[in-house]
Amino acid sequence: MIATPVRVGLVGCGAVSQLYYAPALKELERLGLIRVSALFDPNAASVTQLQQIFSQANIVRDISAFSRDAVDLAIVASPPKFHAVQTIQLLNAGLSVLCEKPMANTVAEAEAMIAAVDQAEGVLAIGLFRRFLPATQAIRQVLSLGVLGEVQSFECYEGDFFRWPVQSPNYFKRSTAQGGVLLDIGVHLLDLLLWWFGNPIDIQYEDDAMGGVDVNCILQCQFAGFTGTVRLSRDCSLSNRYVIRGSKGWLNWTVNGADNVQIGFTNSHFALDTKIYYGVQQSGLPILAQPAFNFEQSFISQIGNVIAAMHGQESLLVPASEGIRSLRWIEHCYHHRTLMAMPWFSPAEANRAQQLSLSCE
Amino acid sequence: MLKIAMLGANGFIGSRAVEMMHLGDMAEVRPIVRHLSSLARLSRFDLDCRVADGFDQTAISTAVQGCDVVVHAIAGDRKTILGTLAPVYAAAQQAGVRRLIYLSSASVHGQAPAPGTDETSPLSDRQAIAYNNTKVQAERAIRQLRQRGDVELVILRPGIVLGPRSYWVTSFAEALLQQQAYLVNRGQGICNSVYVDNLIHAIYLAATNAQADQQTFIIGDREQVTWADVYRPIVTAFDIDLEQIPEMTYTYTSPSLEERIESVLASKASLGFLSLFPNHWRQAARSAMSTLLHPASTTEEWRMPESIQTTPAVTLEMALLQQCQYKLPHTKAEQLLGYCPIVPFAEASRRSIAWLKFAGFPVISSHENQLRSVQNNLSKPVYSSKRLEEKLI
Repeated sequence: MIATPVRVGLVGCGAVSQLYYAPALKELERLGLIRVSALFDPNAASVTQLQQIFSQANIVRDISAFSRDAVDLAIVASPPKFHAVQTIQLLNAGLSVLCEKPMANTVAEAEAMIAAVDQAEGVLAIGLFRRFLPATQAIRQVLSLGVLGEVQSFECYEGDFFRWPVQSPNYFKRSTAQGGVLLDIGVHLLDLLLWWFGNPIDIQYEDDAMGGVDVNCILQCQFAGFTGTVRLSRDCSLSNRYVIRGSKGWLNWTVNGADNVQIGFTNSHFALDTKIYYGVQQSGLPILAQPAFNFEQSFISQIGNVIAAMHGQESLLVPASEGIRSLRWIEHCYHHRTLMAMPWFSPAEANRAQQLSLSCE
Repeated sequence: MLKIAMLGANGFIGSRAVEMMHLGDMAEVRPIVRHLSSLARLSRFDLDCRVADGFDQTAISTAVQGCDVVVHAIAGDRKTILGTLAPVYAAAQQAGVRRLIYLSSASVHGQAPAPGTDETSPLSDRQAIAYNNTKVQAERAIRQLRQRGDVELVILRPGIVLGPRSYWVTSFAEALLQQQAYLVNRGQGICNSVYVDNLIHAIYLAATNAQADQQTFIIGDREQVTWADVYRPIVTAFDIDLEQIPEMTYTYTSPSLEERIESVLASKASLGFLSLFPNHWRQAARSAMSTLLHPASTTEEWRMPESIQTTPAVTLEMALLQQCQYKLPHTKAEQLLGYCPIVPFAEASRRSIAWLKFAGFPVISSHENQLRSVQNNLSKPVYSSKRLEEKLI
């Protein structure tokens, strides 16, 4: 049982904080689990917006003001290039940290974060929140129980015309963003694949960066005994489905669907459209209890997991040691990247594209 | 090198123009978009992108500073089409831009223009399709701005612009997947197509040709093609036979009795009148009306399921387009600009299909295609979204 509310400081008050963390923290405040005590963002307008929601929170000019006296848990939701330096500073100050994805811009930075948490009193969780969706947890169980038989292949298509309300053009610049769609969406997707399937043997990677960042990319992933394709885009409207095929059947998950998966079986006319509930035993019989969390509740439960871990009541679902795994593969991809085929280019354009692509390495 | 500012650079034509001009070293291109998020598609390149709203003269003026030419490729609703003209023209003048190229549309001549139509034909803004009228009015407005201003003006009237990300390619592909594709007149109407690269080639010529000021040009592909010619490569790529696409006709349908009664009941006047009566009277009246409009079937549970066949909704625009019997000439562009389409229609189709595959559509490979083509001659496949779904799963 958590007696006093955890004091939460928010580092970065941009789009992700306004759209996701603010309503989640507001609900946790209502439940008496937390109290937002400090806000930091160099952009005054962004801080002001959040202060309207958390009027009791102090606006601080520097994150050095995030001390144990005022804050227990810091949520780092700043641009990724600041994640490592801010997280390390906060851990060294004795705070626990929930760091938004991607954990860092480079593996070296992420390793420094892990070294810092190893020496720190607090915990470090990474905001790969899709692991908190009941559907992704159910898929992990379906796979580990062998419901689909031996996994044979998978296809993950995720992308749409980009609509995220970014607040700076730096989000799209190679020099500041370090990556594009792979680092942004791919980090979620690769995290799930690693969580479900374990480490791949190899990944072949192509993207369309021609002096800038990747807007489209494709990954051919080799796991022990099966292969899979990942296609990501900030440009095209893709099917936004993950399909896993096994020797006994198939599974379909619609991206960000919190409580629903479809499962079909080999040689069967029927397929199941499942809605996920909590299951309990009543009078010796299994029954459905309450519906599993929706998307927003799952996001809240991510913060709940960090609070419980701070009190030694739960293990972190995504500790830093897990957060770095997808980052390692992303770095591998960027180091071994080749240019995607774009067959609508003229031969001259294709040559020039190849030259510009090489400048991205 | 020529400096071109591209307004609407994240759109279908704008983004390909940026790509083609940058990769082809045709010009130093500066993409300009309305929202920060619209930079996403362009961020593959390291370019001097700007964010400015087409309604904001000051912002556009700053964004186009130092450019020789501005291309107005802003798409949108009537308000956007008409409302961005004056600010953009004034901004170009303020920034010392030499020439503005306005992307109009061949639809100013209607979807099925009369034989003999060319750039000299009179335009009407009382056509059945609202978009046509807006574009006619936009042309008139921007010509008037040219009369009073110093920035040179070239108006281009492309036909049906095809290519990667084209609405005409993507919407037909999606309609195929949803079993909503159709043909009118068996697709034998003429499609006044222009592959996007050909249009961009024309934009470049319009930007550089000294004689082009105050001229208007129809821009099209070299070949005369039908809608069936446009659609056939797409249906083949999806392993479907064009013959199995249903033939439809456009019919104007007035609202049904049910729709009309519900519309009257939902009107503000009705709601006000009904509020004079007690609530239980109103509920009883609504219940009686509902029973009348939706009689309950007592045998519903005993009815076997039937495959759901939804009839494609034919739009007036598509019906007119597919009945077109005239290829708009681009003779004037040939003679004055030296325009010569750089991509033949067959290659244009190949590139559009290649993009569909790139964008995740279930395109079968050309090798598969050949094999299936042989098989199709032996046994005609059934046009079924289930088969496409199977390919996806």
